Amino acid sequence: MAAAIAIHSVTKTYHRGGESLRVLDDLELQMEAGTFYALMGPSGSGKTTLLNLVGGLDHADAGRVVVGDTDLTSLDGSELARWRAAHVGFVFQGFNLLPVLTARENVELPLLLAPLSKAQRREQAERALALVGLGDRMDHKPRELSGGQEQRVAIARAIATDPQVILADEPTGDLDRTTADAVLDLLQRLNRELNKTILMVTHDPQAAGFADQVIHLDKGKLGRIDRNERPAGARRV
Amino acid sequence: MALVPFRYNLRSLFVRSSSTLLTVCAIGATVAVLAGMLSLQQGFATLFQERGRDDLAVFLRRGATSEGESGLTREQCDILAKEVPEVELDAQGQPLASAELFLAVRLRKVDGGETNVSIRGVQPATFAIHGDDVRLRDGRRLAPGSDELIVGEGLVGRIANCGVGDVLRINTVTFRIVGVFEGKGGYRSEIWGDLDRLAVALQRPVRSRVLAKVPAGTDLAALEARYTDDLRVQPKVQTERDYLASQTQRLSTTFSILGGFLAVVMGIAAVFTGTNSMLAAIGARMHEIGILKAIGYGPVAIFAAFLGEAVLLGLGGGLFGCLLVLPFQGAETGTMNQTFSEVTFAFRTTPVVLAWSIGFAAALGLVGGLWPALRAARMTPVQALRRG
Repeated sequence: MAAAIAIHSVTKTYHRGGESLRVLDDLELQMEAGTFYALMGPSGSGKTTLLNLVGGLDHADAGRVVVGDTDLTSLDGSELARWRAAHVGFVFQGFNLLPVLTARENVELPLLLAPLSKAQRREQAERALALVGLGDRMDHKPRELSGGQEQRVAIARAIATDPQVILADEPTGDLDRTTADAVLDLLQRLNRELNKTILMVTHDPQAAGFADQVIHLDKGKLGRIDRNERPAGARRV
Repeated sequence: MALVPFRYNLRSLFVRSSSTLLTVCAIGATVAVLAGMLSLQQGFATLFQERGRDDLAVFLRRGATSEGESGLTREQCDILAKEVPEVELDAQGQPLASAELFLAVRLRKVDGGETNVSIRGVQPATFAIHGDDVRLRDGRRLAPGSDELIVGEGLVGRIANCGVGDVLRINTVTFRIVGVFEGKGGYRSEIWGDLDRLAVALQRPVRSRVLAKVPAGTDLAALEARYTDDLRVQPKVQTERDYLASQTQRLSTTFSILGGFLAVVMGIAAVFTGTNSMLAAIGARMHEIGILKAIGYGPVAIFAAFLGEAVLLGLGGGLFGCLLVLPFQGAETGTMNQTFSEVTFAFRTTPVVLAWSIGFAAALGLVGGLWPALRAARMTPVQALRRG
């Protein structure tokens, strides 16, 4: 299978208060298209930094990050913004939505960056919300939704433009077990039914159990990769 | 380039209503000061300009800048009234020209204290020259050669003894008020009497000006030039409109400068308030900025969104400031004009004043929002997401 994401000798160092902290150290990693990856490791191991580099939110100090056919290291800030709008969807841990906009308006946000008519935007947003089971909550503001529903709206926003890659940073970190499982089920369904490549940062082994492969990072280096079996239904560790 | 939806910024203003309200009040107060001063300036400027006519010629002594400085003898006035061919004639073949005496006298105000009031000695032709511009509101017109006065409606209720039937003593002569007239501009703040009787009472042997009806478009410069070498009289001639504009220019400019100065000083404070408010807003919404950037909104879109929000704040303040000022529309006040006489004029919040005020408010918002918007735009997505 073709590599959807390729990390070549990537190094990233943060400088704070005169101290340097190497978060990613000459990392080499390949991820295949259409696979659900969980990214695990202790705090400071570089999980979120790697996610940010793959999502074009940050630049590597050295090495190359290639997503699909695009070498992200060659793009400047504005080009990265345009690339993100078209090729990647994000789901963050909490406060994922703009609180003053309704669920539909939040989902329409990335669609505004695409050359679509108002009717097309509306239709795509409604389709995405229906896909995550929130067809009846479209005109609700985030404060009128539960935590799980908010995360599902965020997932709808992430898939609204039909990107090939979905990046999720602790998407279930603020949710109770039942709600978290529902969100993870949804991500798994997107992977299986829509063939989305998903990279999910998590501390939760149970959440990682929903992924096809679990990548372990340790001190900025690749630890090991565990492969989960893929039965027909949802899996738990 | 796609922009962040306008409703996001609009609704965000409502969500943080306390901060929005405080900023709107600060900008509104500044705008109210500017709008107030501009309204006064407009009221004062239009007081005279509205009434100025192009078919009336004002003859002053050469070198004089106002009636108060001017002085023409009776003979000079006769020459100007009867010999200048441009002066129109009435049905009886008499020139539509009148010599006038103008002086400011100290009179008691109704609410205490004294002020200068303009007294104008007029001739019967004066009324024919002004036509409908000067109309009697109460009482009757003064009889020629009598010790009778008529007062402009602007003085009634402001200056003591200015009602019909009242008696007004000027130096040693006692005059009786027989009428109240209404008229446009500064005349409504004057007291009119018979020219010769007032000349005696005021002990002024010279006249201040000759007012004459001439065809509109008359070349008054050429008229003036004809008398350059005339040893009998060398007048300065202007249309009434030009003369009145020259009379209000100085005070009108003072109002503009004063208003501008106050607006700039208060504006600086308002800009700081706006900047502070926007910085607070951006600080509180850092994560939202991070989300917008992550989704794909570029630096220009983020800059435009937050600058637009600051301008919206400014416009809100502008609207509030105008609302503060509008209830005073038409309210009358009094001041000294360039001839040191009391004139009353209305507070005029014209569409031009409103447009300037709103524009000023938007500019305050723009300047106040510039730095915060730039800050939000320059932040990387990761910085924004982390700080949120």
